[in-house]
Formats: sequence, structure tokens, C-alpha cells
Amino acid sequence: MSNRRDIESRGVDLDPRQRPGIPMEQPPHPRAGAQIPIAQQQSPYPVLKHGGRREIPPVYGTAVPPKGLSGALRKLAYHYPDHWARHWMMLLMADRVDSWEYRLRRMLPLAAVLVVGGLTVKLLKR
Amino acid sequence: MRALTYQGPYRVHVENKPDPIIEHPQDVILKVTRSAICGSDLHLLHGLIADTRVGCTFGHEFVGVVEDMGREVKTLRKGDRVAVPFNISCGTCFYCNRGLTALCENSNPSSDLASGVFGYSHTTGGYEGGQAEYVRVPFADVGPMKIPDDMEDEEVLFLTDILPTGYQGAEMGEIKGGETVVVFGAGPVGLFAMKSAWLLGAGRVIAVDHVPYRLTFAEQYAKVETVNFKEVGDVVLYLRELCGGRGADVCIDAVGMEAEGSMMHKVLGLAKMEAGSPTAINWCIDTVRKGGNVSIVGVYGPPWNLINIGAAMNKGLTLRMNQCNVRRYMPHLLEHIRAGHIDAKGIITHRFPLEEAPHAYHLFAQKRDGCVKCVLTPHGHA
Repeated sequence: MSNRRDIESRGVDLDPRQRPGIPMEQPPHPRAGAQIPIAQQQSPYPVLKHGGRREIPPVYGTAVPPKGLSGALRKLAYHYPDHWARHWMMLLMADRVDSWEYRLRRMLPLAAVLVVGGLTVKLLKR
Repeated sequence: MRALTYQGPYRVHVENKPDPIIEHPQDVILKVTRSAICGSDLHLLHGLIADTRVGCTFGHEFVGVVEDMGREVKTLRKGDRVAVPFNISCGTCFYCNRGLTALCENSNPSSDLASGVFGYSHTTGGYEGGQAEYVRVPFADVGPMKIPDDMEDEEVLFLTDILPTGYQGAEMGEIKGGETVVVFGAGPVGLFAMKSAWLLGAGRVIAVDHVPYRLTFAEQYAKVETVNFKEVGDVVLYLRELCGGRGADVCIDAVGMEAEGSMMHKVLGLAKMEAGSPTAINWCIDTVRKGGNVSIVGVYGPPWNLINIGAAMNKGLTLRMNQCNVRRYMPHLLEHIRAGHIDAKGIITHRFPLEEAPHAYHLFAQKRDGCVKCVLTPHGHA
């Protein structure tokens, strides 16, 4: 069992004025370094915004564009606002499809070798 | 560049990917010098966070050196060492103006749940993460904090997420001095919540987990009492008794959606009938005294969980929760590290080169080899 008297720094932030959460009770103000207006990010990346959002924000990520069947499912999911369960269920389904698509893509070279090999053996046997 | 990439549930590899580029005038490109694996990265690894696409790179706890910068970046220069909050925040919107940078509305087109987050699925904006040699950092004048010359990367690495998250967890408990605080989860965030509870003046801090080495670590690192919930039968009754029969004043959930302790919730979570297991929240609600405070910093995914909200209402509880608004805590906690109140790097148990990141994930997820926190070194130890 601990002895709280052993803890030298105990209570150093006891005064609420020492707590970083307190500034939120001050009048709103921009963070240090913030710039207005914010330029709009331009890219050919297909940004998917959920159905409850009016505009694309000025900055966004471009990690992995939607593609294949999983991409089609994601595009469909993003038609719905993010408070709809179907939005999330379709995205989770798309994740699983994405995973299977990836596995199939990885198996394609092996499958191609097997098909070509099989056809060659068949031709040689003739 | 080399980067960790997600390849479907439970699988990550390190691969070649194109180097990041400046995509917005307020971007910088960072050469990552240290990057940590977070407990919430395991939710991604396990396929529990929606819109986690194959090929994306995880990692939202990192520090590095500015390598390139957009034309509107004013406060940073090439070669500056910076610690980057996991939230991507514009600094000017309704929420940022109130210090709530975790809720920024200018960085995430995909959902209104949170701001953009590095390497945390397309649900939080689709940004690449920092478990790579290089990473793009938007709004570079707002989020990143310059690392003082007298401090090492590893000393400040956890200012990017888990230390402020733990602190905010304790702060949301509204500790006024002398309270009994129960922290569920003795992982990295839980450890920092325990340390923070002491800083805020708690009278007693109790850690609850089921992994023996983590409880031992918590006892030594945070000087707390510990309870292994697998050894005590009904953990709620045990804790209430331990807290004088009434319950704890404050309970903190530092576990999130992969909580052990309830077979029903675990099965429902695996079957996607709910978003993971909310066992830790329900234990918080049941363990805290009437009129007490419950603080939630564990991560939960959409769309829903079976939470005992009726008990919370009838007991008159205050529930507070949020992703951490990291930026506002960084300078304050930096001073605590400098003053020796918190030995942040003291929780690092393992260091790996980036190429061994999949092994590090495995070790961390399986809680093997006494693993508390893994740090990756994408450009070596120098």
C-alpha cells in the first residue's frame, strides 16, 4: 500500500488556477500561431465527407483513396450522416471487403503462375 | 520512405511508400525521430475502428525535426525539433477558440466526432501517421511545440498524447483535495492518470487491472494501491468496501473498448453488436459514490455501447469525457517533467527500429515481456 506522504509532488496542481483546463473558461480567442483565413487545400484526392456535413474543411488527409468494391461501399456509406448507424455499419463492412480485396490482389501473381503453368503442362501433354 | 502499413485486422508490415509532400501552405514535413505505439493503435490493428483502410500508416505519438515547410508557416524553421499533438487543429474555429482543439471543425471531413488525428483511420480525417520515416503535419504553427534544447526527444515524446490524456482524465475528475480516485487500467494512460491524480491533490489512488506485471509497475511507478480484478470476485463490491463502503469519489476509465471482465460485452463487441466492450465505464459508474465524478479517456468507437446510464442518472453522477485537447496541456506538463514531478520516459520498456514495428505491436498487444510502452526509432538511435 502506498503512503501519500511519500509523494513529494502531491497537490502541486491543487489550485484550480494551476490547471490547464481553466483557460477554457476565459473569453474565446484564437490559439497562438493560428492564421485567418485558412487557404483551401487543393488536391485531386477524392474527399469523402459524411452526409451531415455541408462543406469540405480547408485541410484534410489523403492517406488512402477509396478503391474497388470497398471504395464503392465507402462512397455509399458517406452519403449518410455520421449519426446514422448504417453509415458506420457500411464502413465496417467496407473494411472487411477491403481486407479481402487486398488478400486477393496479393494472391494474383501466384494464381497467374499456376494458370500459366497449368496451361503449359496441358499443351506439352498434347 | 519506409512506413508501417495496415494490411487488414491483426496484420501490419513495414513497406516502401511515397514520401509525404506539402499539400497545404501551413504544412510541414517532419523527419520522425521517435514514434510510440499507443494502446489505441491496437483498436486499429484489431479492426475495431471504422474506415481503417488497407495501406494506411498508424502513429499519432511522435516527435521529429522539420524537414520542409509550406509558404505560410511562420514560427518554425527547417531543423527545429518539435513534439506534435495527436489532434490536428486549425486554432481559429469555434472549438479551437475555446481551447477544445480535439474538436476542431476544420480538419476532419469524415465525421463530426472529433478533429483530424494522425494515423487514426479515415474516421478522423484520413491523415497518415508517424510510424514512418517522414510525416506531413498540417497547421504547423498551431499544434507542434518546439522541444527545448535541454530536453531529449524521449523526455517529451509523451506530451503528444498519453501524458496530457492521463492528466486531462484526472482533471476532469474535478479533484479538490483528499479524494479517493480509482483508475481502471494500468496501461500508459492509466499510469499518467494516477500520477496526475496525485499532482491534483488526491488523497488516495487505486489502480485496477488484471495483468500482474502492470499492477506491479503501477505500484512502483505511481505509488498507488492496486487491485487485480480477477482475484477479488465482484470487483465493484470489493472496491466499494475498500473505499469505506460508499464508493470512490472519482473513477477514471483509462481502458476503452477492449476491456476484459465481461464475457457478454466481449462477445457482443466481437459480433459488432456494440462498439467493443464498455465494461470499464460500467464499473466506473457502479464503483463511484453517489454524486461522484466519472471521467472517461478510454477510446470507444461508434455506433453504440450498452452503458448503464440509468444508474448514472439515479446516482447523480457527473460524467466527463473527451479526446484530450493536447496542446493546452503541453507547456504545463513540460514544466512538470523538467521539475522532476513526472518521469515521462520512465514508462518506456522497449525500443525498436521501425523495421521491427510489427514485432513491437505483437509484444504490446499480447502484453508480453513486461511490455508497458514501445518506442520506435525510424532513423536509428542517434
